[in-house]
Amino acid sequence: MSDVLVGFAGMTHLGVNSAAAALAHGFSVVGYDADRDVIEALRRGDPPAVEPGLPDVLRRHASRANYTADIADLSRCDLVYIASDVPTDGSGASDLAGIRRLIEGVSGALARGAVVVVLCQVPPGFTRALALPDERLFYQVETLVFGEAVERAMHPERIILGCANPSATLPAALGEFLSAFACPILPMRYESAELAKIAINCCLVSSISVANTLAELCECLGAAWSEIAPALKLDRRIGQHAYLAPGLGIAGGNLERDLATVCKLADAHGTDAGVVRAWIANSRHRRDWALQTLHGAVLSKLEDPVIAVLGLAYKQNTHSTRNSASLALLAHLAPFRVRIFDPVVPATAIPNPRCHAASSELDACEGADALAIMTPWPQFGTLDPVQVARKLRGKLVLDPYAVLNAVACRAAGLEYHTLGFNPDGIRTEK
Amino acid sequence: MIIHQSPAAQKPERVVLLGARGFIGAAIRKELDAQRIPRLALSSADLNLAEAAAADELAAALRATDAVVMLAALTPDKGRDIPTLMKNLAMMQNTCTAIAKTGCAHMVYFSSDAVYDGAVSRVSEDTPTSPQDLYGAMHHTREIMARSLAGVPVLVLRPTLIYGLDDTHNSYGPNRFRRAAQKGGKITLFGGGEETRDHIHVDDVAALTLRCLLHRSTGTLNAATGTSHSFHEVAEAVSKQFGKTVEIVKTPRANPITHRHYDVANTIKAFPDIRFIPLEDGVARVHREMLEKS
Repeated sequence: MSDVLVGFAGMTHLGVNSAAAALAHGFSVVGYDADRDVIEALRRGDPPAVEPGLPDVLRRHASRANYTADIADLSRCDLVYIASDVPTDGSGASDLAGIRRLIEGVSGALARGAVVVVLCQVPPGFTRALALPDERLFYQVETLVFGEAVERAMHPERIILGCANPSATLPAALGEFLSAFACPILPMRYESAELAKIAINCCLVSSISVANTLAELCECLGAAWSEIAPALKLDRRIGQHAYLAPGLGIAGGNLERDLATVCKLADAHGTDAGVVRAWIANSRHRRDWALQTLHGAVLSKLEDPVIAVLGLAYKQNTHSTRNSASLALLAHLAPFRVRIFDPVVPATAIPNPRCHAASSELDACEGADALAIMTPWPQFGTLDPVQVARKLRGKLVLDPYAVLNAVACRAAGLEYHTLGFNPDGIRTEK
Repeated sequence: MIIHQSPAAQKPERVVLLGARGFIGAAIRKELDAQRIPRLALSSADLNLAEAAAADELAAALRATDAVVMLAALTPDKGRDIPTLMKNLAMMQNTCTAIAKTGCAHMVYFSSDAVYDGAVSRVSEDTPTSPQDLYGAMHHTREIMARSLAGVPVLVLRPTLIYGLDDTHNSYGPNRFRRAAQKGGKITLFGGGEETRDHIHVDDVAALTLRCLLHRSTGTLNAATGTSHSFHEVAEAVSKQFGKTVEIVKTPRANPITHRHYDVANTIKAFPDIRFIPLEDGVARVHREMLEKS
């Protein structure tokens, strides 16, 4: 156990998972949030975010966690992480007013010599402009992945730390805390660290865009992206963990934010962001895959069709629906009857008067003309295509993330569509 | 992306069609009549929009509650030169002057996909406009003129290649192929007819226009089906209708092959139940109409 007391201001998805990692590494934690409901729920062991393993970690180390809605309680901390959400507008631009207010509040409560670490996504230049002593102010890159947040917070590949002076020795409390994670620590200028976060996301989006672009081509040529992707991952210049799964555009909010930031900075400085704008355009284009496929096969052919939709969250193992492809699809299905099921997100999230909140996956399929599996929740993969075929009135199954077995679906008589492969797309070059 | 000012379909009080006697105008007229929507159909014989007096005459005929569909234009077969450009701009100037004077509830401006660079193979409403000739520049300018009308909700429709029985333009595609097959039993392709294009039946254009009028839609929308076919496929579809061997002749290629595909996601989002006549069916429909007429 360490004597270092670590504060987290903002019991957000980021804050609570980071606090869990600190607890798991033996530190005592003060978790502050102005929202009393969030604090009460945490005290009951009910975290405000859905993440595999999170409730368990919090429960195991509950004796070292103090959740509070009183900002003054942070005065006992040796270091305080700023972990609030930074909201974005429709174009992905950040609204920094909230985080500025929070930092101001935390600064007023800090003990003499305590360290502040900004952990949220902020644009380059943000940290240096804060009115806090340089030697006690840091920016740390977060690499939260929804659905894997606890694991990544506990075992980061490296820690990227923005500092006023990268060659200076770290304050003792911060040094002790970071070394507990047993990974390389990369001190760099504030601006480099802030841009490093954006650079990481740009690399991820570039891989996603490659996958989406070529998966679409696969659908026209009879090639299968699922056969190609493993070959790329064995290329050491690309790597095992590359983001090569095709998807329905970029979602979640964080990647979009960084793309918007790059475009804004490039516009301001006259640098070229054409490739980033192309990624954004490609993302928007692929988001419409389900709608276009549904339209071609069902909406333009049947009177008053019924559509079953499995999944509302933007990805599996999360409650977040930010920029969810499912919600984007459902927004355009407003004139139609829809039957919806998500293991976590309630169907009330859909403002469709003709929406039926199904009690299970198969209940959603009952009498539907088409099924769209819009979130790759693992439990959807256990569905038996034969039972699905029995429940559906039609045959169309859209499974963009290949949750179901394509061969089994086709054997069950279903008309199965997935990203990156279309058996009808096989063409020979003339 | 377009926005429906009337989320629930609502018939306009009256539709004023400018260029009503043309190929598209006639199809829209038919659609309006089928829906019992009052309309004032004006052709160049009724009102020559290029003349200076046209602005006042049109203003006198317009009501503030009208929806105006502006189709009147001198098409490239009437001239591709600067005087034709200026006449087209004068027509739009007079139309805008009249609307500015009287006001209108909705304006649908019929533009063209000529506002896009012909070399762009995949087009959506987000594709930057880049007209490559005076005809495209004319439509682009007229779009801006329409949008500059203060207080008027404007929709710009950009149709791709339109076919139908009454088309008079005889441009390369289904219409010319049908006439050539009927006349000489032969369809001549440029090269092997490898280029792909999106061909939309005029009735689909009219139906789309009606939907936009009913919802008082604003913004920009391409009028395309989302499915492209090679000219060779079009020739085969036409040939099939004649029930006898129509020779499809390939010629040495003079120009590089270009393709054009439309992303119609915005159309589907605006009208999720919209359906377009598949090319084979459309060609068959035109052929039937041709036989009935003759």
